[in-house]
Amino acid sequence: MEKFAKSFPSKPLSWPRSKKWALAGVVGSGNLEVLFEPNTKSPDKMECHVESSIPGYKDSWLAALEDFASNYSVGGVKVGIHDQGADPIVVTLRLRQAYDHLIQKTP
Amino acid sequence: MSRSSLYHEQTARQRLSSLVDPDTFREFLPPPERVMSPYLPHLDVPVSFDDGLVTGRAALDGKPVYLAAQVGQFVGGSVGEVHGAKLTGILKASARDSIPCIILVESGGVRLHEGSSGEIGISEAMRAVFECRAKRVPTIAVIGADIGAYGGMGILSACCDFRIMTEHGRLGISGPIVIEKWMGKQAYDSSNRSLIWKTSGGKTKYLLNDANVLTHDDVTSIGGALKKLLSKSSPITLKTVKTRQHELESRLTRFGSTTCAEEIWNSLGIKDIKAASLASAPEFVAMTKSKHAKAKPETKKK
Repeated sequence: MEKFAKSFPSKPLSWPRSKKWALAGVVGSGNLEVLFEPNTKSPDKMECHVESSIPGYKDSWLAALEDFASNYSVGGVKVGIHDQGADPIVVTLRLRQAYDHLIQKTP
Repeated sequence: MSRSSLYHEQTARQRLSSLVDPDTFREFLPPPERVMSPYLPHLDVPVSFDDGLVTGRAALDGKPVYLAAQVGQFVGGSVGEVHGAKLTGILKASARDSIPCIILVESGGVRLHEGSSGEIGISEAMRAVFECRAKRVPTIAVIGADIGAYGGMGILSACCDFRIMTEHGRLGISGPIVIEKWMGKQAYDSSNRSLIWKTSGGKTKYLLNDANVLTHDDVTSIGGALKKLLSKSSPITLKTVKTRQHELESRLTRFGSTTCAEEIWNSLGIKDIKAASLASAPEFVAMTKSKHAKAKPETKKK
């Protein structure tokens, strides 16, 4: 198990009033779950907490997360991740899905 | 993102919110609460924010219901201590408030990583089912997802008042791979999909009266079936238990030595096996209606 936390600079997100959280994906083989929660303390940072069952890929994680933080306005978002061996493209997809769930009116 | 109306393709949360009245689902212990398994981290197995069970309250047809949905993709939808406690909680709430409980089952049974805690969790949930039944509060299991309802969750589903199945659903105790491991591939070939579904699939379970309703694999059909069952219950009395015992005894006499599931279909009135296999759920129900007199233990709620 590999665990780490890191914050990445990102443009502030205007958190929708009707939502308290958003979840995408599931903890299954080659998959992961991503939880978005509000983090009012640092509105210009995406704060990530990653737990992965596959150790040794921290560099890939940091690259994928940093990429997402710079491409999307997710400042003020706390991201929780439980991973079971997803590859970077799936990680990016789930982050994008959680973001979509958050900004859409319907869940 | 487009949303499928096929029940088995949806996620647990999509199933819940699309089955009930729009925007009425309120989740209990949602992911941010982080009520997670205390055991899995010790085994280096990743945890899930909801421990693989989504629970909550909603309105269905304007009436309040409690709901639980298992996440089959997380450790096979298995019941660990937290998962079991959430399930027991929702069933106890149903009994306390006299509000029907709907369980969307997708599970291989007890989570073996958690040993006795999982076993106890599922047993407590079963006891809570009987608390509901003693108070004539309807408990309904919906079985139509990929994993099916096996092990302890197969038993728990059988304990509920009613079972709604789709053709996609499977109901049993030991899963196909378990049986194959014990009995050998000659006895039960777990890669033979036709064999698996003819022994534990929705159509067979409907024929045998283990499933009360067989529907299309879509949320509208399942929702329609749920609405009809909400005002009913299946009481446990000496008479109903004796009737069920008699049914099971005669099933054993009739089919105990049968080695081929198709013989059972045949003797329960299905003449054209191929046509019945290809038929949709409503077509299958229509085909069997005239021939198979289903016992109806349902009574109107007092």
